[in-house]
Amino acid sequence: MKSKVLTTAAIFVAASALACTLPVLADDFGRDRDHGHDRDEHHRHPHDIHTETPIKHLVIIFNENRSFDHYFATYPNAANPSGSIPFVPKPHTPKVNNLANANLLVNNPNSNPANGTGATDPFRLDRTQANTRSQNHSYTPEQQAVDNGKEDLFPKYTGRGTAGGAGAFGTNGQVMGYFDGNTVTALWNYAQHFAMSDNNWTDTFGPSTPGVLEVVAAQTNGVQNVVGTSSSIADGQGGLTLIGDTDPGHDACSSITSTMLMGGKNIGDLLTDEHVSWGSFMGGFDLTLKNANGTTGCARSTFSSNVNSTVTDYIPHHAFFQYHASTANPTHARPSSIHAIGHTHDLNGKVDPANHNYDLEDLYAAIKAGNFPAVSYVKMPAYQDGHAGNSDPLDEQAGNVELINFLQRQPEWRETAVIITYDDSDGWYDHQYVAPKNASYDATADQINGAGLCGLGPNKQPAPKGLSGQPVNGRCGPGTRVPLIVVSPYAKTNYVSHAYTTQASVVRFIEDNWLHGKRLGGGAFDAGAGSIMDLFDFDHDHSHDLRADALFLDPTSGTVMTSPPDEHHHH
Amino acid sequence: MNSRTMWLLGAGLLCLAGAVFATETNPAGVNPNPVQLRRPPVAPLSAMAQLGKEIFYDASLSSSGKLSCASCHSPDHAYGPPNDGPVMLGGADLSRQGARAVPSLTYLDRHPNFSIGPDKGDDDNIVDLAQMAAIGRQAARTTKTAGYTGASANIVPQGGLFWDGRADTLQDQALFPLLDPNEMDGGSAEIVADKLRRAPYAGRFVELFGAGVLRNQRLLIAEAMFAVARYQVEEPSFHPYTSKYDYWLEGKARLSESELRGLQAFNDPDKANCAGCHTSAPTRDGLPPLFTDHQYEALGAPRNAALAGNRDPGYFDLGVCGPQRTDIAEQTQYCGMFLTPTLRNTATRHAFFHNGVFSTLQQVMDFYNFRDTNPDKVFPRAADGTVLKYDDLPAKYHANVDVTDPPFDRHLGDEPAMTEQDEADIIAFLKTLTDGYKVEN
Repeated sequence: MKSKVLTTAAIFVAASALACTLPVLADDFGRDRDHGHDRDEHHRHPHDIHTETPIKHLVIIFNENRSFDHYFATYPNAANPSGSIPFVPKPHTPKVNNLANANLLVNNPNSNPANGTGATDPFRLDRTQANTRSQNHSYTPEQQAVDNGKEDLFPKYTGRGTAGGAGAFGTNGQVMGYFDGNTVTALWNYAQHFAMSDNNWTDTFGPSTPGVLEVVAAQTNGVQNVVGTSSSIADGQGGLTLIGDTDPGHDACSSITSTMLMGGKNIGDLLTDEHVSWGSFMGGFDLTLKNANGTTGCARSTFSSNVNSTVTDYIPHHAFFQYHASTANPTHARPSSIHAIGHTHDLNGKVDPANHNYDLEDLYAAIKAGNFPAVSYVKMPAYQDGHAGNSDPLDEQAGNVELINFLQRQPEWRETAVIITYDDSDGWYDHQYVAPKNASYDATADQINGAGLCGLGPNKQPAPKGLSGQPVNGRCGPGTRVPLIVVSPYAKTNYVSHAYTTQASVVRFIEDNWLHGKRLGGGAFDAGAGSIMDLFDFDHDHSHDLRADALFLDPTSGTVMTSPPDEHHHH
Repeated sequence: MNSRTMWLLGAGLLCLAGAVFATETNPAGVNPNPVQLRRPPVAPLSAMAQLGKEIFYDASLSSSGKLSCASCHSPDHAYGPPNDGPVMLGGADLSRQGARAVPSLTYLDRHPNFSIGPDKGDDDNIVDLAQMAAIGRQAARTTKTAGYTGASANIVPQGGLFWDGRADTLQDQALFPLLDPNEMDGGSAEIVADKLRRAPYAGRFVELFGAGVLRNQRLLIAEAMFAVARYQVEEPSFHPYTSKYDYWLEGKARLSESELRGLQAFNDPDKANCAGCHTSAPTRDGLPPLFTDHQYEALGAPRNAALAGNRDPGYFDLGVCGPQRTDIAEQTQYCGMFLTPTLRNTATRHAFFHNGVFSTLQQVMDFYNFRDTNPDKVFPRAADGTVLKYDDLPAKYHANVDVTDPPFDRHLGDEPAMTEQDEADIIAFLKTLTDGYKVEN
């Protein structure tokens, strides 16, 4: 690592300086540790755990189903039609690899006749068109749309016209639609103030569950069917690789006809081994809560006026850690106390029933109680997860901004990083091609470079080794380019990283920061994943400008607020 | 028992209380369990909606140059027809009858897409219409009664716009009247696109969708129709929820004794059972009731001799299975089915049912009340004196007509479900569903 790393002592200096200028925060900073000196190593405070960088708290907001071009096609220039929420770019915003700069807004290869009635150039989606249809984001059609690098068959293979609510362009050409800063205003503002990647990818093609497995386990090989069959294919070595969505086995809210579990390990296992606090925080996970509309249990739901329907909060096939028995909480058991959150054992040394799996409400509560875990994976309730069909960019924005505003108000913010990234592209058009780095040769599923081909052929480019150490099929990748934004006092300012990264790069960052670079093994992609360190600047002295390190946004409009918003009020 | 049922029971009990114990401690006619209704957000019209408004009122898009969307969907008539006849007239010289009574454009903001029930789950597992219809043939149908949720499990068509659900979205819907030779008669997509390019608001398209939009005819029309739809979504007068009944639900208005009795009969499964399909309770999310379950029913309404198309004795309007809708004609079990419309603002209308055969609410109530017990009051007689029941449906589809949901479970000679007073009370209640009620302080 090239960056100089701040020592713990330096952080204390910063904290003391702050305590003098902002007395209201002084006591908060050590609020959980005031009575923590007599605790054993099972409850180490994240601030006291050695880290490679000054980041002591990482929050990964794992949103759903947007490609990079779909959100940043014209960044940083929005259309700003009259009556819109205008977006004015900062001077010297770096160029990003998008449709505008690639000169693909007109004469786009997807206007070719092979796309039939869906043939079209890319077109702008207005803020009033936030509620679109979900596109086809299956493993094989996404490869077919890429068309051996020509990137010209999106309407034909992944396009779907809007058949619901409000929406533009009722043909498969809708897949060519993109939003701009008049709609995804908050993300554009975060990118302007912090750092963004324009070269971040899903590790494989396909939908949510492969994506969620990559960001925690960097591995989709090793499927074990529990009930019925799963959305997997034979890996060529007698095992199975997941290429579609399947619910986790034994989860109280899962399908009763199809579930599976995964072999191998995930990052939670490694963090537990080192007594680093971590948790999964998902909207709808707490089955004991009752929503305003009276729903409870697995059926908790929330009405969205943008999507114009009532959406079930918890989606089992997005549950980060429920696929590995070692990190699962299949009954959604509650933590024994707010202080047990993030920890394997409660304060009395007993194994905590929640096993690191909680509700998003628990993250807010734990942080308020001074118990902010080191690593937090967040999934918004479904209406705010960004997935077209059950969510939309405006509800997504509201959920993300509310959480980030809240985090920025905490004393721990100065050593916190938030990563906003995505499980898959939804099939939305993105123009960039990368030749497969992870080959796969399933005769029907793989199509990117020809029938049965993802890569140069089994001899020239063997498939990567899977869980058992043999080359396995079903992991064709990288898949699709998706946004990745880092919001942190240590993020570079108005910076665009072109370093190649994937979902497994998140796993690698955690390993590098907390685990001395330990890797999962078993053919997991973290071993070869790119580094996201390029988005950070750890040399920058942050002791004097803490105010500038926060960017409070309006959750509805995504525009910059001059004063911090009110506290979070939920359940 | 779910909360919706509880609510209905509550309303029912309240009605009894209001009718029988007029001097209760509660001021008579006030909802003792007021709810908070969640109305759509109101904000200034977006650029998109403003564009849509211009198109909605643009008569130059019609061949006559005299018809706009607003001509048949009049803002002064709850966006329904402003005339007294069963249908509206259109075409180049405004002399051609539209095929069906003009539906209101109000309260479509929460209208679901067309599907064949029950509710679809994840969109990654799409079951096609024919497959669902096949399942539906084998499934036992639940009787729909007010206050029970069995109806939503029925495998019947639901959602979609027009009387036959052939358009899924307001965007899709808007193009049909524009091109229908009996309505705006816009000519063709080419002609419409050409007019849009030369319209005074053409610059708005470029501003919103980029310069390429004017070159791409398909996109231009799609965006224009989206804008019209968005106008309907944003403009509050399309879904004001300002009826006396809305305010009564919120505890801000009193219903008269007759209106309360009407509400009770409306909700009573043994009487009118209107709420079995025309849902009257707010949703659990506090959304105001829409007075439709968005499902389809074959009710066997009489033929309307005033329609020119009906001069051909072999012509039948069969709704979901055709002839206007063409994609599921083979599903003959749906022949004769039409969408259950909202009853909001129904008292302002002069054309009821798909063929506009009734012009007053009294006629409609008589149809429900006497169709089975005294069909001679509803249907014409043949030359030999026999009553021509279901004369607007071919005999082979008579079995599709609903004879299970009350009040249609009666038989010839049975006691009708409603008295004359019940009918009058229900009509009084229906009048509380008209928007624009002024709350007294």
